[in-house]
Amino acid sequence: MTTAPTLAERQAAFMRAILDESAPLPDGWSNSHALGLSVYRGNYRGALMDALAESFERTARYIGESAFRTARINHVIANPPSHWTIDAAGAGFDETCAELFPDNPEVAELAWLEWAMLDLVGAPDTQPFTAQDFAEASAGFGDEEWLGLGLTFQPRAQGREVHHDLTALWKSLGEEDQPADLRAFEDKQGCLVWREGERPTFLMTAPGAARAFTAMQMGARYGDLITLLAGDEPDQAAIQVAAQSAGGFLGQWLSEGLVLAIDA
Amino acid sequence: MASELTSITPFGGFGLGLRRVHYDDFLAQDGPAVPVDFVEVISENYMVEGGRSLRILEEVRARHPVILHGVSMSIGSAGGLDSDHLARLCTLAERIEPLWVSDHLCWTRTSAHNSHDLLPLPLTSGALDAVCANIDHAQETLGRAMLFENPSSYLTFPEDEMSEWEFLSQMARRTGCYLLLDVNNIYVASQNHGFDSLVYLDGLPLDRVRQIHLAGHDPATDERPVIIDTHDRKVSDPVWALYAAAMARIEQPVATMIERDDNIPPLSDLLGELDRARGAAGLGTKALEPA
Repeated sequence: MTTAPTLAERQAAFMRAILDESAPLPDGWSNSHALGLSVYRGNYRGALMDALAESFERTARYIGESAFRTARINHVIANPPSHWTIDAAGAGFDETCAELFPDNPEVAELAWLEWAMLDLVGAPDTQPFTAQDFAEASAGFGDEEWLGLGLTFQPRAQGREVHHDLTALWKSLGEEDQPADLRAFEDKQGCLVWREGERPTFLMTAPGAARAFTAMQMGARYGDLITLLAGDEPDQAAIQVAAQSAGGFLGQWLSEGLVLAIDA
Repeated sequence: MASELTSITPFGGFGLGLRRVHYDDFLAQDGPAVPVDFVEVISENYMVEGGRSLRILEEVRARHPVILHGVSMSIGSAGGLDSDHLARLCTLAERIEPLWVSDHLCWTRTSAHNSHDLLPLPLTSGALDAVCANIDHAQETLGRAMLFENPSSYLTFPEDEMSEWEFLSQMARRTGCYLLLDVNNIYVASQNHGFDSLVYLDGLPLDRVRQIHLAGHDPATDERPVIIDTHDRKVSDPVWALYAAAMARIEQPVATMIERDDNIPPLSDLLGELDRARGAAGLGTKALEPA
């Protein structure tokens, strides 16, 4: 005599059968169960495919329906969801695209941008620290305060270096039937993504700017940033140039509303 | 546990689910407000930290009572509730002050994966224990009694020990929770599993019902002999008949809602269906006073 499975065992077997069509039917199940299971499996797949389609409209438009379907299927199989919100299903889709389209790195860059923009939609509402706020707060700064300056940025803002002009690509893919405007850079450029009020936005910016942003986001101080930008064994001139670059980046972050607070 | 929870006062009225395509209708400044007695939203769509959707919900809340209806609590999970989900739901409930908070009698996840679908539970005493423990946890954390909706289902389990209505009855009695009666789900399950919808209704503690869902389904075909709960079309005639039968049996005021999640038509179409619900409930279109 066999004992009935526990609830945990039943749920584990059910989930395996949903995720993997080749998994054996759970114990005690007949063909009628297989029919019911196929409905749940179809719901699972359909919901994830729809969620990815909603999250990556421009990527879909760029690579075409067939390639996008393949990419979604690959992503769902390799990354079965674990988060309570289906909105998280698109996390890592840029990496799936990078693996599937190694000769077209712009696909992964576009998917990364779409995901970064979407991630900001439900981010906390914030009040930017303005250039004027900063001028007042830093009026009495000496060298020590400047070098030790830390910044708090908008939550979930992101920076990344990219090889393609995402502004041109994004705009061209904003409407159906418009040819994609793909322009490769000779050298990597920065891309910053943040939210203006309720609206996610992004900006192509100077090489090094995204790296600088990420470093400061991770807790680097202004002095560390200058050191980072100056490179290995810098001379005085290189440090001077790095300090100017850091100042330029700081001005940009303030003017775009990315900074929320300073830690001096 | 049940005795410590505040009871949910019956609220009579007719409402709709708030869907993105109707945001402008609900937020229009000129003209009268949308003629609904309440609005139901999918909780998880608003369990965010900020942004446009949350602001819109607050604006809608300023005009209408709101019900928070969840799809991801996974009240039947053997491994318990997701603490992050529950914490965010608490935050949203405190912010919106809903009429009530509801979810489904189902499970959606294991500790490793989430199906994002409302999966069926074996109707066993072991599953009932797990569901009741999870409901106690949720209600205690939220500080309020919840409603749980009867699911549509496409299979039953060999180890089932009781009917779904017996399961729901015991669940409500043991936890003090209330019922969200999805009439379409009863119809779908009755056709898929071969039971009498009226027996189901008569087996429930109908005094615990606070809300009714009405929705459309995809009928069975020769190739697929299963009815699927799709929420993508009008409510069918058999479901309207079952709704009338339910309303004739329920003595207290209840909130009735048309649930539409796909192929969403203009708001005026859904308001027309809501008028039909008013008629089927035997109330015409006269205004209802909250109890």
